[in-house]
Amino acid sequence: MRPLSLQLVSVVTVLVGVLTLAAGLIWLERRLLAFWQERLGPNRVGPAGLLQPVADAIKLLAKEDWVPPFADRPVFVIAPAIVFVTVLMSFAVVPITPGIGVVDLDVGLLFFLAMTGLGAYSAVLAGWASGSKYALLGGLRAAAQLLSYEVFMGLSLMGVVVMAGSFNLRDIVDAQRDLWFIVPQFAGFVVFMVAGLAETHRLPFDMPEAEAELVAGFHAEYSGMKFGMFFVGEYAGIILISSLITVLFLGGWHGPWLPGWLWFFLKTMLFICFFILLRASLARPRNDQLMAYGWKVMLPVALLNLMVTAAVVLAVGD
Amino acid sequence: MNESYVSLLVLAAVALGLGTVILMLNGLLGPSKPTASKLDTFETGNEPEGDARQRFSIRFYLVAILFILFDIEVVFLFPWAVLFKDYVAAGLGTFMFVEMAVFVGILAIGLAYVWRKGALEWD
Amino acid sequence: MNVMFYVAAVVAVACTVRVVTHVNGVHALLYFVVSLFAVATIFYLIGAPFVAALELIVYAGAIMVLFIFVVMLLNRGPQSVAQERSWLNPRAWVGPTALSLVLAVEVGILLFAGDLELETQTRVAPKEVGITLLGPYLLAVEIASMLLLAGLVGAYHLGREGGREGGREGAHREPGAGR
Repeated sequence: MRPLSLQLVSVVTVLVGVLTLAAGLIWLERRLLAFWQERLGPNRVGPAGLLQPVADAIKLLAKEDWVPPFADRPVFVIAPAIVFVTVLMSFAVVPITPGIGVVDLDVGLLFFLAMTGLGAYSAVLAGWASGSKYALLGGLRAAAQLLSYEVFMGLSLMGVVVMAGSFNLRDIVDAQRDLWFIVPQFAGFVVFMVAGLAETHRLPFDMPEAEAELVAGFHAEYSGMKFGMFFVGEYAGIILISSLITVLFLGGWHGPWLPGWLWFFLKTMLFICFFILLRASLARPRNDQLMAYGWKVMLPVALLNLMVTAAVVLAVGD
Repeated sequence: MNESYVSLLVLAAVALGLGTVILMLNGLLGPSKPTASKLDTFETGNEPEGDARQRFSIRFYLVAILFILFDIEVVFLFPWAVLFKDYVAAGLGTFMFVEMAVFVGILAIGLAYVWRKGALEWD
Repeated sequence: MNVMFYVAAVVAVACTVRVVTHVNGVHALLYFVVSLFAVATIFYLIGAPFVAALELIVYAGAIMVLFIFVVMLLNRGPQSVAQERSWLNPRAWVGPTALSLVLAVEVGILLFAGDLELETQTRVAPKEVGITLLGPYLLAVEIASMLLLAGLVGAYHLGREGGREGGREGAHREPGAGR
């Protein structure tokens, strides 16, 4: 057992790291989008616009903390905090290097799935509590989308679990010492990535907040830092999904020459940038297309992937 | 054992505390100017019509039921997936594979049924 | 460890009481979620992390979402609060409460009289759960899949009737078009 002080240090390191990265992402995403759209993006506040997130945070803090009279007050206030807390909690089980990481849970993967499931309440409750039609529609879409893709997310990881024989994320990384799971589990990787995008309701899967049809969907009535909370939650969610892809499919800290934490960081950043590129290049599908796609393509693919993986493990094992 | 739950608790406490502080800070720093137009729901600038308390299509309910059923299926897959390698090593691999193929197969029939009946069409 | 257990237990009981007494459906369900969370914590503390995770995934993450979803779909608003309030008159709850108290006293006596070991030192790893589930109870697992199949078909037929009545114009009908 590690001493208490060391545990506290790792908790604080992970929290500060995630929140700093999430703030940095706001800048990175806007600059990258601008780059791909041949614009400049935010470049005024601080060197190369790096202090833009700080300015944004100050602006949001100075906005009115408004709870509409037609909203359900307690739920309206709790909803943005739910996504914030559940995403941060999920980072507890992410092993960054053999030594860095908050906890070493035997049921780490299940803990992540549980936290993702609870995170779904955020958008659903926000939509319900707002008492506005757009928000309610956004909340309903969020519920249908998040619930469906939660199933595929869990299923897509079962192939990895079969190959590693453990739910512990450290064991899963260790099992990839010779071969990263992205090779034998490519189908699982694709399903997990799509489900991850849908779970964080990122573009192109942001139907719950689609600005063209639902103005801002479930957070239409939110302002100030409560709105900011959804935002930070979304960005932390991208980091979470990227780091989990790294851990589950790209061998975590494994890699030649460079130290483990750097490998972890580079792989995670690669996927974060990939998600931003997806946002820049793909159009939003219709809600019904997303649902049909999930149940008719993702679910069968995930089930098939699992059975084929098991068959191969069986054939090799015999 | 002790280690893991203390760290988790600390993380939960810090995350909750941080969320609360940020939300409260906004209440302290932000202005408060309730004006008439803020009292209405946002409807892209039009006068709000009716309220948001109306019923929705039953289709959403079907999605939720499908979700629960498949979520429970995944729950049964968890222990099987984590043990499968051990079973292969113990020579029980084929048996367990067939068992789970039957389990998944029965649910696949269910999926095929609702698919065929058009429950997966969000038309 | 013991302190943690009692804190979680008190939270669970208090939340459950609020679930019953709250007049607003969604608020009551939120208390229910917290209560399930507390129970999951208890499972974790007494050495059953796998069950704790499943409690969160299935009950807190799935079944409660379904409940909230249904409350949202019915979307009754203020009338349902008034209705709940009328149901919560003493005549309705005195009987069940008295009976529950009898049970609570019995549990209390058992807890303090018997030599119940709270701090089990054994920790049930996820694999051990699986070995039992897929060993002696393998047939039950297969039967469970039949049950799920029945649920799937049943849910479709229950949902269809309502769907037909309301027309098929879309998954997310605008509120103005509601029945």
